Amino acid sequence: MLNNIRVLEISAPETMLGGQILGDLGADVVVIEPPHGAAGRRIEPFLDGVPGLDRSLTWHALNRNKRGITLNLESPDGRQILGSLAAKADIILEAGYDSRLDDLDSGVTADTIRCRITPFSRGGPKASYRATDLIHMAASGAPSLAGDPDRQPLFFPVPQAMMEAGAEAAVAALAGLVARDRLNISQTVELSERMAALLSSLSRAVTGGSGDALGKRGDDTGRVPNMYDCVDGFMLISISMNRSLVHLTKGAAEWVADEGLFPHELANIDWANFESLTTSGKTPASIMSDLVAAIKVACLSKTKAELTAIAHERGFMAAPVATMKDIHSSEQFRERGLFEEAQLAGDGRSVRVPLRFAQFSDYSIELRRQAPLFSQHTHEVLSEDVGLSSIEIQALFVHGVI
Amino acid sequence: MSAPLSGLKVLDMGWLMVGPMSARYLTDLGAHTIKLESRKRRDPLRALGPFKDGKQGAERSLSYHMINAGKRSVALNIRKKAGRDVVLKLVEWADVLVESFSPGVIDEMGYSYEYLKSLNPRLIMVSTGILGRTGLFGRGTSGTGITGSAYAGATGLMGWPDRKPTGPHGPWTDSVAPRFVVSSILAALHRRKLTNSGCYIDVAQAECGLQFLLPAFLEFAANGIDPVRVGRAGSKLRSPSGAFRCQGDDRWIAIDASDQHDWISLKRVVGEALSDPAFDTIVGRLRQREAIEAALNAWTTPQEATRAEDVLQSAGVPAHVVSQAQDLVVDADLRHHNHYRKISDPEIGQAETTGPQFRLSLTPHVETRPAPRIGDATNEILKDVCGLSDQAIALLEGAGIVE
Repeated sequence: MLNNIRVLEISAPETMLGGQILGDLGADVVVIEPPHGAAGRRIEPFLDGVPGLDRSLTWHALNRNKRGITLNLESPDGRQILGSLAAKADIILEAGYDSRLDDLDSGVTADTIRCRITPFSRGGPKASYRATDLIHMAASGAPSLAGDPDRQPLFFPVPQAMMEAGAEAAVAALAGLVARDRLNISQTVELSERMAALLSSLSRAVTGGSGDALGKRGDDTGRVPNMYDCVDGFMLISISMNRSLVHLTKGAAEWVADEGLFPHELANIDWANFESLTTSGKTPASIMSDLVAAIKVACLSKTKAELTAIAHERGFMAAPVATMKDIHSSEQFRERGLFEEAQLAGDGRSVRVPLRFAQFSDYSIELRRQAPLFSQHTHEVLSEDVGLSSIEIQALFVHGVI
Repeated sequence: MSAPLSGLKVLDMGWLMVGPMSARYLTDLGAHTIKLESRKRRDPLRALGPFKDGKQGAERSLSYHMINAGKRSVALNIRKKAGRDVVLKLVEWADVLVESFSPGVIDEMGYSYEYLKSLNPRLIMVSTGILGRTGLFGRGTSGTGITGSAYAGATGLMGWPDRKPTGPHGPWTDSVAPRFVVSSILAALHRRKLTNSGCYIDVAQAECGLQFLLPAFLEFAANGIDPVRVGRAGSKLRSPSGAFRCQGDDRWIAIDASDQHDWISLKRVVGEALSDPAFDTIVGRLRQREAIEAALNAWTTPQEATRAEDVLQSAGVPAHVVSQAQDLVVDADLRHHNHYRKISDPEIGQAETTGPQFRLSLTPHVETRPAPRIGDATNEILKDVCGLSDQAIALLEGAGIVE
């Protein structure tokens, strides 16, 4: 898809997923790290719980299909090499405004799309805020609504703001690329990590000014329970009363009726008019709690896999609460071709990599490269892409530039 | 200056969030987007709050306005033959088609990609199912971002170890998947310029969600450890790092001051309570996590959350209110970004919706407009896009095709 496109990524946690998406879509991505290693190499979890620059599983997860080089951008040589790589790049992906590229002759990047990710809005009242992933997610609006109402707000145990920013940056960079294709204009596209994270709160952003109820933690799970214990974990079964989705509820009611746990005559009501039927007393007011109680009993003796198959066959809205182990062994994902088996770079152990986030009719996302080991491609890129001699590259290493 | 996608034509046959949000990205970038709807089987998003002024109604959902801003709506029964002819005209017109029927339903209705491609080889068509169209359960699996999140592994990671999982806020994959959908569409548009051919893109929302959780997946795939829900916020490798209670009902502030210079800044603000020399090293702070958190909670609990954020950030400490809806709408950062855009609509009057997340320096997004009312452009679209005469439209109305 993007196989004529060259991307230069100046690595930061928030650029990693963006660079990877562009690489997955076929771009040639070179990621630049400082000589002491990218910040992304110091994010847990680590291989076997032992830290090391080549042992971050977060790094491995978010840098496939890239070549990696080290370069000291503070040094005159580093800046000159950066300029030389930038001149050949279609897209430069970078965090903030301190990449040193701005000092270079702007002529070298005239045809390049710059995609820049700031923490908060540039020039805004929070532009100088100190922030980490946790801080950006706190500002997203999503955690305040996640979890149980009697406990603290819930955050993902995996950093998310950097994922939000990276994925949004891929969109922004490609919008810039398509603008160049259509209008012959190269420009800077810009986003903040906080703004990207905000989307995870979905329509909460427009709730505050709506005049409607503001919503609070527990609303998501409070109305009709959707989480059911089963033999090997939990099953999520959505009982929707939305008119366009209510036929799915009927499927669940018919299932528990056939299991002998719920009256057939109640399973067969006109679910689209559920509210008026209960208000008028034509069906018992307890129908919903009875249905939930029946589902609860039905789930207790079955596994996630059994319940998933039942839901699929009967057409009700349900999903296993999958653990990573479940996903790893999922036939659905495997049959679909989500995974590629790969030897983990530098370690050799075989791991399953879920990479095909989309299936194309005439393109396939492939694992062309494992995430680069520390400085793995420095010599290759400086020699082939920049045209430095072997002596020059050795000199740069001796002087700590690479 | 033209917008990046000015002149691009998008047919949005999606509902709820993933398909329509993807189409909104394209609309904001200048595309002309037609949303195909049914009055009889309404987009469930129209029944989802928040509603303007708290009054329910199909035209009053601000979720719908946010996800569908700037589109025009045509209301049709597309299962009948005459309706089908209209859809095929729209397909011939379109550059991009986004659909989110249960996987396979679009084929059953006679709109398979194979067929549509024969009418329009340049068409880029995207399906956004929960599990995609292939695999054991792909076809026939209907769902929302709630079930998508469970399949993706997100739900199981969110909750307290001593209780059932609660999952993330809302239909989480609905916010994740559009980024992968739009990236794929834009890449396909880039390629189409070179090849003049479209393509079909089959997206599984659950698989997109998993991309945001890859470190957890690799923890199992490489280390054999199946990550579990932990409840409390913050990394186990950082201290202090988490959510701390503030004054008022359910008010919290996130503080992440594990790094040495941030810790020193925090000590300067909080003072005596953090002065124990045992807290002065990273290892010391990990070992004394509970004592530090107790001291911090004692400091934050009587404080107003936004005031605490000001005080901490002024001193250089990473901190932010755990924002709620009422915080977001007055948030100085969001206001500075001009993220809230005024819209005016005959049904709801003046309201605010959100603008695009990113900025282009030279070819900006188009102005944010309201979402359409159901079928508000049916006649114009049938005339101008499909080339139908008034008489033909009247016939379609009579036959119940135009809803």
